[in-house]
Amino acid sequence: MIEFKNVSASYDGELAVLKDVSFTIRDGDFVAFVGTNGAGKSTTMRLANGLLKPTAGEVLVDGVPTSQLKTSQIARKVGFLFQNPDRQICCNSVREELLFGFQVLGEQGPDAEAQVDEIIARFGFDSDAEPYLLNRGTRQLLALASIIALKPPTVILDEPTTGLDFRECQKVMETVAQLNAQGTTVVMVCHDMEVVGDFACRVIAMTDGRVVADGPTFEVLRNQEVLKRASVIPPQATAVAMGLQQQVPDCPVAVADANTVEQLAEALEGVAAEGGR
Amino acid sequence: MAKFLEYVPGTSFLHRMNPSVKLICAVILAIACFCTTNLAFLALLFVAALALAASCHMMRETVGLCKGVLAFSVILAAVILLTTPRGAQLVPLPWGFIGTGSLLAALTVIIRLMTASIPLFLVFYVTKMSDITNSAVKQLHVPYKYAFTFTSTVHFIPVFMNNMAGIMEAQTARGVEFDGSLVKKVRLMVPLCVPLLVSSVRKTNSAAIAAEVRGFHLRTRDSGFKQYPLAARDYIALAVSVAILVVAIVL
Repeated sequence: MIEFKNVSASYDGELAVLKDVSFTIRDGDFVAFVGTNGAGKSTTMRLANGLLKPTAGEVLVDGVPTSQLKTSQIARKVGFLFQNPDRQICCNSVREELLFGFQVLGEQGPDAEAQVDEIIARFGFDSDAEPYLLNRGTRQLLALASIIALKPPTVILDEPTTGLDFRECQKVMETVAQLNAQGTTVVMVCHDMEVVGDFACRVIAMTDGRVVADGPTFEVLRNQEVLKRASVIPPQATAVAMGLQQQVPDCPVAVADANTVEQLAEALEGVAAEGGR
Repeated sequence: MAKFLEYVPGTSFLHRMNPSVKLICAVILAIACFCTTNLAFLALLFVAALALAASCHMMRETVGLCKGVLAFSVILAAVILLTTPRGAQLVPLPWGFIGTGSLLAALTVIIRLMTASIPLFLVFYVTKMSDITNSAVKQLHVPYKYAFTFTSTVHFIPVFMNNMAGIMEAQTARGVEFDGSLVKKVRLMVPLCVPLLVSSVRKTNSAAIAAEVRGFHLRTRDSGFKQYPLAARDYIALAVSVAILVVAIVL
């Protein structure tokens, strides 16, 4: 569990990037942070794994303030996937890269080797491949794999789908969703509302270093005021449903409440079956 | 606090000076530091350099620079201390001794390096890179290719430093502990040279392609529209710098 209690933070003590932020991320949550660039999302993530210490308030990981823990200690509990995988990858082969995390934590041995073998098989990596020669999506998957190999209870993803094509994006996000289904807490910063709508269960919207909304995904993504303040747009299916609700008199509830393409199609089929209006 | 070697806008005397003159004066002052062994004169130049930094509100950056140069110059000073037996003997060594002259020589090296570096670094804090390049091309007749290469090299230093900081942060997030002994730190940092090198080559390649597609090869001395006229302050600064060089040689 990660708790933020009235947290403020700044870089070099000059400019407050985060202002009095409070929220709790419970075990097993899948939370997406949304908002414009400079809203404080990435800073929040850096605070959550101890890379940055709060200037006021407290960040607690499993009840312990991050100010009392080294980042390496937090790394066992909170894995962090950076936007740019090239900053994480530092070994000469995929296998070495996956083993590196175990070496750092002093957990080398047959168990680590077995876990790496399992990850290689699961992701379909070529264990001897040179990481820097892999394509962008595979490098991102490798960076993700090197984190989840260590089985941290929480994984933080800072814009994990940036620069990936649709297929690569789906592969990364399906892996993340699978992890979450197995009990891993997932915290994600994302600008792609389609991805947020498809995968996140809860959304925290931020603007100007403050939390402006925190709730179930579509409750937040349907709130016009929040959308305006955080400068985000809802997923297309949700936007269509909201548009129909506003412009069509007596719009059926099933249509107005649809949030996904499937839900919207099903609702419209129902309307058509009733003879249309 | 400004980032390393990043231009900080301002209206100070140094900001308003001609970019080429600033560069020339900084080089003359650096040469002057290496032309004298007079510790009192070097100390005076050091104070003057600090005053220059204060005049353009760059004291924090300058103190940071001095700390960095001090760490490097202390190593040189130690070598001089152990290998230059001069003056009255203070500490006997198996191969000679450390004397009062050795101490003075070591101290001179430290002050000299710090004093020489301040004006050179200040130039980049008070001048836009594009102004240094264009002024060097227009007034000093440096071929654009070389001027651009020089300023790009300087420009990439903070970029690579940021990259290295980002890579170290990413590794810290994976559990790497960079605190500890110097040997441990070096051992942990060596593998990080790989991602740094890869990202550096990618960035340099991207910059080269961007320059090419924007017609880099078409640029000549007359391409820049901005003029850099010399003012009275530039002549005064040049005269003072040359005078300091002459005094340094005479002393």
